[in-house]
Amino acid sequence: MSRAGLSCPGCGSSNIVDDHLYCQSQLVCVDCGSVVSEGALVAADDHVGGSDVSYSRSTAVAKKPCMNLIKGIQRVKAICRILRVNSGIEDLSQTYYNLAYQHESFIRVSLQKKEVLAGCCVLVCCRLLNWPITMGTISCLLDADPMVVGMVYQEMVKILNIEPPIINVTEVVEAHSLEYKLSSVHVPEEYAENSKDLTKRAVALVELAADSWIVTGRKPIPVMMAAIYLSWQSLKPNKHRLKCSLEKFCQIAKVNKHRPASKRITEMKKVLCKLGKEIPWVREAVTPDNVVRQVEDILKHRYALLRRALRTHEEVLLAECQASCEDSLTEETAPTQSSELVEQNPNASSVEQCELNAERAQRPGDGDDNPCTVSELHTDIQESQDPTPNWGKRVLFAPPCVTHPRKKRRVEQPELKDVTGDEEISDSEIDSYIRTPQEAREFTLTQQLFYESEKS
Amino acid sequence: MDSSNDEALDIIITNVVATFRTRCHLNLRTIALEGTNVIYKPEVGKVLMKLRKPKITASIWSSGKIICTGATSEDDAKLGARRLARLLQKLGFKVRFSAFKVVNVLAVCSMPFAIHLIDFTKNNRPIASYEPELHPAATYRIKHIKATIQVFSTGSITVTGPNVQNVATAVEQVYPLLFECQKPRYK
Repeated sequence: MSRAGLSCPGCGSSNIVDDHLYCQSQLVCVDCGSVVSEGALVAADDHVGGSDVSYSRSTAVAKKPCMNLIKGIQRVKAICRILRVNSGIEDLSQTYYNLAYQHESFIRVSLQKKEVLAGCCVLVCCRLLNWPITMGTISCLLDADPMVVGMVYQEMVKILNIEPPIINVTEVVEAHSLEYKLSSVHVPEEYAENSKDLTKRAVALVELAADSWIVTGRKPIPVMMAAIYLSWQSLKPNKHRLKCSLEKFCQIAKVNKHRPASKRITEMKKVLCKLGKEIPWVREAVTPDNVVRQVEDILKHRYALLRRALRTHEEVLLAECQASCEDSLTEETAPTQSSELVEQNPNASSVEQCELNAERAQRPGDGDDNPCTVSELHTDIQESQDPTPNWGKRVLFAPPCVTHPRKKRRVEQPELKDVTGDEEISDSEIDSYIRTPQEAREFTLTQQLFYESEKS
Repeated sequence: MDSSNDEALDIIITNVVATFRTRCHLNLRTIALEGTNVIYKPEVGKVLMKLRKPKITASIWSSGKIICTGATSEDDAKLGARRLARLLQKLGFKVRFSAFKVVNVLAVCSMPFAIHLIDFTKNNRPIASYEPELHPAATYRIKHIKATIQVFSTGSITVTGPNVQNVATAVEQVYPLLFECQKPRYK
């Protein structure tokens, strides 16, 4: 391509062409071959459409997955194999682990936390796919602090937006009881027990505990441990087993003892005693020491015994109520004198209700409706007499924290209602918080003496 | 207030946390020397001061920022904060009471019935969460008023929120949900 208007400085001809030699364009004279002008060594147009490529990217090979991610997935697989879960859970937990690992909350945490994350993925998949295990099992497997496991679990569930179902303790008992090595292979004959029977009885005990406020709000593992211990003792209540303490039992079964389990055992025995008292064919008094022998009968007939116990309890409460209402009268039952009672007694409404209750209780009671209504009336009576009721004292079964309250019941402080926040503050009040100069000097002196005496 | 319940629920405020600024630098050593009821923590860089009336504990930093905890009402917190500012003024600092803000209010309330936590959590997913192995209460977080309610199976609840009004609203909001999941008392 020739360029007009230019003349070669060498020979003066105007025959100048644009020559593209390699990547550099030059203006060259055709006649003498001299270069008139040359373009920049790096012309701008050549790089239109391209972008700067960094060195690492230009020399990079295909991106390899992170080594820790691979190890983590292998750990997930290992945990699944140890727990012997099905392949669906294994695959799902690997997927979740991949997702959670790449998330910003978990990509930069310590390796220990990443291992805990692996366990939590398995835990959440087990819950989702109906294979309940406890967090305690996972923390044992990982040898990690249960609180750390809990923290990681909650964060992971939030990030991955999963809603795992809440597991009931009764579902977990079976999986938990498999940890106890009590078959005849592992232990001597007098201690050995068939795991199916053990589990069945433990489930019944846990259900009873759940009905009587022992399970709610408590950690599940000590409850299960207590249930399994009591069911083991009661399946063959010979002297070997009855003498065996919880500690020894845990040693035999090769599990770690949990301290709260002893408290749960005491609570369960109390409940069993309350029901054992209602068994008609037991002559001797049922105490926590001998209740283990009655456990089989109690569990077999537990619903009937519960109803009887509740009825007995209502009758006791009713008798107490009547005794407190009729303190000035000599006769105990006087339904015909109710009108006189109404005039004389200040608690008129409560007395009427007492009489109504007596009539209802005397009617043959069957079904669960009766205890319900009687207890409602009772709550009315008690509340009219006592403005701050402790409902734990009135019912047969209540959570221990309500029956024996350790804290004082909080009451609103009335004097604070007059504070507005913008009142005047007197000088004398403030002065009480300031040391006088004399006191300040004494304080510094004492401090110095103190430090010197410490040094020497 | 509520038409659904016959007796009014007693919401008892147990703790109010408030912050304010003095807009001047404070010498912690002077405060530790000349103030009574004072604990100096040089490793953290603050001074803890306790007032008797109202019963308040204040954390004082040298930057002039102060956090007051332990009051039982918002007005009480303000009074305590003003007392504290006056006290620091008397100790010789050029204090200007400013930026008073109640940051957190903790209240407890007792329902007249027991609550079945598993049902409550199932009905209110994902706002409610319950992990019995970690904590005995179910946690219910109301995002738009920034309140957190911990529900115990005995019927007691604790509510935390940024101010007393939000706490009251939270209790009103959660009451019908709790009422649905109540456990019969005789069992």
